[in-house]
Amino acid sequence: MGEMKHEYPLLYPLLPILLLVPILKLAGWESIDAAFLVVTIPLLIFPTILIIGQIYNKNQVWKNKWKEGGILALGALAVSLTIALWILFDYLYGDSHFSNQSTITWFEWITFDFLQSDYTISQESRIIGVGVWIDQVTLMILFVATFLCFLICWFSMGYMNTDPINEDRNHRFYAEFVLFSMGMFGMVLADSFLWLFIFWEIMGLCSYLLIGFYYWKVSAAYAAKKAFLTTRIGDVFLMVGLFILYDIYGSLDFEVIFDDPSTGVTGALVDSNQLFWALLLLFVGAVGKSAQFPLHVWLPDAMEGPTPVSALIHAATMVNAGLYLVARMVPFVDIHHHGVPGLENLGIIIALIGGITAFMAALIAFVQNDIKKVLAYSTMSQLAYIFTGLGVALWFYNTDHHHAAMIAFGASMFHLFNHAMAKGMLFMASGSVIHEVHHAHDHIHQDNHQDHNFDPQDMRNMGGLAAKMPITATAMMFGSMSIIGVPLIGGFWSKEGIIAETWKAAIEYEPIMIIPAILILATAGMTGFYMSRMWFMTFAGEPKNDVVNHVHEATPWIREPLLILTVITAIGGFGLALFDIIHFLSADIDHLKMHGFVYTLEHAFLPSDMNTRLVGWTTILLSFIIGPIIAARIHGGKLKEGTKAIALISWLVSLSGKFGHQNVENISKSQFSEALQNRLYFDDAYEYVISKTVIPFANLSAWFDRTIIDGIIKQVESKSVSSSLQVRKITTGSARDYILMAAVGMISIFILIWGVS
Amino acid sequence: MNSLSDISLELLIPESIMIIGILTMILIPNLGDAKIRIPLTNTSVPVFIGGTRFTQVNNPFIPSIVAIITFTLSFFMSLIMLQGAKNGEIGQIMEVNQFTTLFSLIFTSALLMTSIATFYRMPPKQNPEIPQDKDTESSASAKIRILMNNRRQVDFYILLLMVGLGMCLMSKSTHLFLLFVCLELASLSSYVLVGFYKESDIGGEAGTKYFIVGSVASAIGIYGMSLLYLWNGNLQIDSLTSSWSTMENLDPFAGIGVGLMLVAFGFKVGAAPFHLATPDAYSGASSPIAGLLATASKAMGFVAIMKILLIITSPEEGVEAYWFIAIALISVITMTWGNFAALTSVNPKRMLAYSSVAHAGYMLAAIAAIGSGLGDYNSNVLIITALIFHLTILVLFKFGAFLVLTLLENEGLTHNMDGLKGLTRRDPVIAISMFIFMLSLAGIPPLSGFLSKLLMINGIVNVSAGTGSVSSATVLTWMTSVNVVFWLALSIVINSAISLFYYLRVGLLMFFEEPVVEGPLAKSIYLRITIIACAIFTLLLGIGPLSESLLEIANEAAQSLL
Repeated sequence: MGEMKHEYPLLYPLLPILLLVPILKLAGWESIDAAFLVVTIPLLIFPTILIIGQIYNKNQVWKNKWKEGGILALGALAVSLTIALWILFDYLYGDSHFSNQSTITWFEWITFDFLQSDYTISQESRIIGVGVWIDQVTLMILFVATFLCFLICWFSMGYMNTDPINEDRNHRFYAEFVLFSMGMFGMVLADSFLWLFIFWEIMGLCSYLLIGFYYWKVSAAYAAKKAFLTTRIGDVFLMVGLFILYDIYGSLDFEVIFDDPSTGVTGALVDSNQLFWALLLLFVGAVGKSAQFPLHVWLPDAMEGPTPVSALIHAATMVNAGLYLVARMVPFVDIHHHGVPGLENLGIIIALIGGITAFMAALIAFVQNDIKKVLAYSTMSQLAYIFTGLGVALWFYNTDHHHAAMIAFGASMFHLFNHAMAKGMLFMASGSVIHEVHHAHDHIHQDNHQDHNFDPQDMRNMGGLAAKMPITATAMMFGSMSIIGVPLIGGFWSKEGIIAETWKAAIEYEPIMIIPAILILATAGMTGFYMSRMWFMTFAGEPKNDVVNHVHEATPWIREPLLILTVITAIGGFGLALFDIIHFLSADIDHLKMHGFVYTLEHAFLPSDMNTRLVGWTTILLSFIIGPIIAARIHGGKLKEGTKAIALISWLVSLSGKFGHQNVENISKSQFSEALQNRLYFDDAYEYVISKTVIPFANLSAWFDRTIIDGIIKQVESKSVSSSLQVRKITTGSARDYILMAAVGMISIFILIWGVS
Repeated sequence: MNSLSDISLELLIPESIMIIGILTMILIPNLGDAKIRIPLTNTSVPVFIGGTRFTQVNNPFIPSIVAIITFTLSFFMSLIMLQGAKNGEIGQIMEVNQFTTLFSLIFTSALLMTSIATFYRMPPKQNPEIPQDKDTESSASAKIRILMNNRRQVDFYILLLMVGLGMCLMSKSTHLFLLFVCLELASLSSYVLVGFYKESDIGGEAGTKYFIVGSVASAIGIYGMSLLYLWNGNLQIDSLTSSWSTMENLDPFAGIGVGLMLVAFGFKVGAAPFHLATPDAYSGASSPIAGLLATASKAMGFVAIMKILLIITSPEEGVEAYWFIAIALISVITMTWGNFAALTSVNPKRMLAYSSVAHAGYMLAAIAAIGSGLGDYNSNVLIITALIFHLTILVLFKFGAFLVLTLLENEGLTHNMDGLKGLTRRDPVIAISMFIFMLSLAGIPPLSGFLSKLLMINGIVNVSAGTGSVSSATVLTWMTSVNVVFWLALSIVINSAISLFYYLRVGLLMFFEEPVVEGPLAKSIYLRITIIACAIFTLLLGIGPLSESLLEIANEAAQSLL
């Protein structure tokens, strides 16, 4: 702790990055030529940090001036962000040198002939190469990823480097962080499913490493393993899906596939049944990565990682990978543009999975007391919204309701943006809370440093923090509002669209869509409850623990990202809605268009369609009025006498005390609540099934591996060593023997030649 | 007969520069104020050779600087000749084409690196402090030692220039006799260089052994050549080629003659079982010289082998060369022997020696693939391209590894792997460069060692894969039906896997072990720059535009060879 230090001078070495774009422009580069730098710079910085960190570990300059690699990581991410912004502006306002979609292969490595299955050499050569594929969806997710990675890295320098437990290990964190970011950028920019999959796996590896950053904690190691294995299940399906796709189209390049998805490699029409299975398997991969039912179990446990990791993986980047993959399925189903008809069921399945996950996650979030776990379930729930929206969009595309499909798709992508911004900020804010509570606790209990009974993440130890942490409380308020969908703020603009389109599909066309429709509508109200509950428990009411009185908002590097994201969350949604982002994202228009202020508001609150209007107002009622009021009745309350919050949030605190109080002891002891506490027994069920099926098989393979495989390898190894010693014995060191061997060799050559001729 | 004016000297510029360098090096240290009195007069004419030496020419730095300048000039002249494609014949004994110029480039670059490394390894002592007291025996011997050490600078670099001259002329020769003379010029000089540190037992022993085995090999080779002469009456390569192609049955003289020459050149490239002296020579010689042996000397041996096997006795399409089985077998034995022996080597120089034996095996496998007669002209060119490319980039990473060892050698740390321990802590940049060299030797993408190995295996598979029975139902039946050349590719792959073990062990020692000696490595800026440049080019020539242009050059060279 101590005085707040200004450490901005440390950033001076990064200032030349501001000149990067002008310099590249002077050198005659187009923005798209520079796209590869978004990926390669982090890729180069990753080993740099690791190696320098390994060598200069514990060096004071490295620790204080370079933040154990943090500055280097920030620099790499700054380069990525700068170039991503350059591409973005070029796309929006620049010349039309890259039109709606554009792909360039910037890197061809090896061209080779290959052996076919009939053992002849193919005449056509295959190229291993990488290219970039840029369209609206790429740009949006690339911006989200680069921007949030940059801010989270900034945040980490405050969060990680001030914690003594991380000392001398932070270079590992930053190296993995940068590699992870590289994986995400690469996945978004990749121009083929193959490279998408490669980067996808890099992210999987890094998430394992980052979640297990505190590997000496059993729970962290377990969580890392769980996350890795669970996503791996999805990845296996994804891989099989890619095999089928390759079988159909003979290539995994977007350019080849999306050119005409209805004809395969042989020129015949694609069998919709076969394609359905390929896409369904891809979707299973996405389900694993984005933590959807039934592969959702890893995400809450993954909160064992450091908080910046939670923000990085579970809000900003990795979980969006699954959504990105599903969004890439649009050309397959869009029957306006060579799509394959007969894939309606795919959209229905995706929407159903989304609806179920949204509802279930919201339910479990009701009873969580760990501040990060609430956010984890909220992430699952919100991602499920986006999946539902995408499912509906795919269904509309496939049933030739082009306009509705575009709105659903655009709204889903827009919700991805809003959610990533808000959730990234919420995680960082929760990190700020945890960090300061932890510090305050250490400060009081200096003698008893290892007090394990105190959990700095438990909201039951907080309360009343609004007075102590004004910036964090404000950030969290706006973040929660965005997630809830409070009118005019952030997520409102996109969530409305998803719910309305789902209901439209249900009422007007497909009765089965009523299930996800009802589920996500109910979830809207539940979101209002649990997000408000989290805020009230943390910031409103009287302190529930003495520790709170010692909390200060004093760590450097933490506040700036929160402030920036607060502004974006508060006005960004509305701002982008004014520019008709929804139609832009669904490629209806090429450039952003400004719409009138009144037009946008009218469109949101008083749509012409009666059903949509009804659904919209129900959503607002549930999420904005009913949910928060119930939460306020249970957890709200005034601050302690004598403490005051800043004006921006004090109204909310005092409002929360005005609805009376309700005791919920009885409900919290009920059986259903118990089931929720135990996450509806999913983990237990999985564990039971695994212990009965996988573990015995694993034991068997372990035995096989130990005795047969290892046995062979050990034999090979020992035989190699002994034969190596034998071989070296021939080199006696005496020239006489050498000449003898040469003579032997000469005679052997003669014998061989004679034998032949 | 040719008159002297027929010889177009502009084709021999690199060699001429080297000759001038040798003359300079002989003359400069002997410049003095000597005068000759013209008989019967009192006027003395200064002749400058002899007498009291001028102080400037006594500078012990002169030989090394002259050598470095000479090699740099020859290198760039070769580069210019390569760019300008200056080709032509010189009399009937030499020919300059893209192939020979590229090899001049390889030789001169390796020699340039040797000179730079030796500048650090055997530093001249400027203004040596000569002990003042004249009486004691020790001071007298110290004086002599200092004098001798500086005098030996000249010897060393003259030998180095001789090696260069021999190698460059050898690659250009189209007459077996000239080829052999040049080869011996380079070889004999290199034997002396190996044993140059005569004060240490190991150096002298290594040099002697290398000389004995080498001279036996040369004797066998020259005997083989004399048989060829008996058979053809002419050692012109063109004449031998045409006689060979018109030969109905294999003439015993010709067959045995070529077989005997294979022994001589097999020794040069370090093919089993003629390689046994190489590890001794490498570990006894100083690291720069070991690097020279592993790259330039090896390239020289391969030039000779290619001239004998691929030009004179080149197989017709569809007909197996009579040496095919012998070379194929030797290649497999060589690579396996090299890799297995390297597995447990504890001396890094011996390890690199065995690794270069293994690499010779890979390259012989490529030659065997051509000998199978399965490929057409294009696929043969592809294989030779891979071979030439490999020999070129070997100068970078094999020599680079020896340069790193040079840095360690002055600390006396190269007799054991322990010297490499914890190199990352001591000098990260050098350690990373060394790791790049090791990975490239092992053939890890995207380094250049991978590209050359890939091309080589690709060429071999390309030639052989079509020979398998197309109708075969299972892989197993196909494997039994495929030509034996295919198995050469497989053995390269398996051997590469084995070799990874000892290459990566170097990385393990450097990154994860505690250093034996603390403190940073000696600062030697030129050597350091050379090492880093090697590492960077190892990467650049494996991937990207530079590797493509080098491949184009190698392709042109391969076409001009055939």
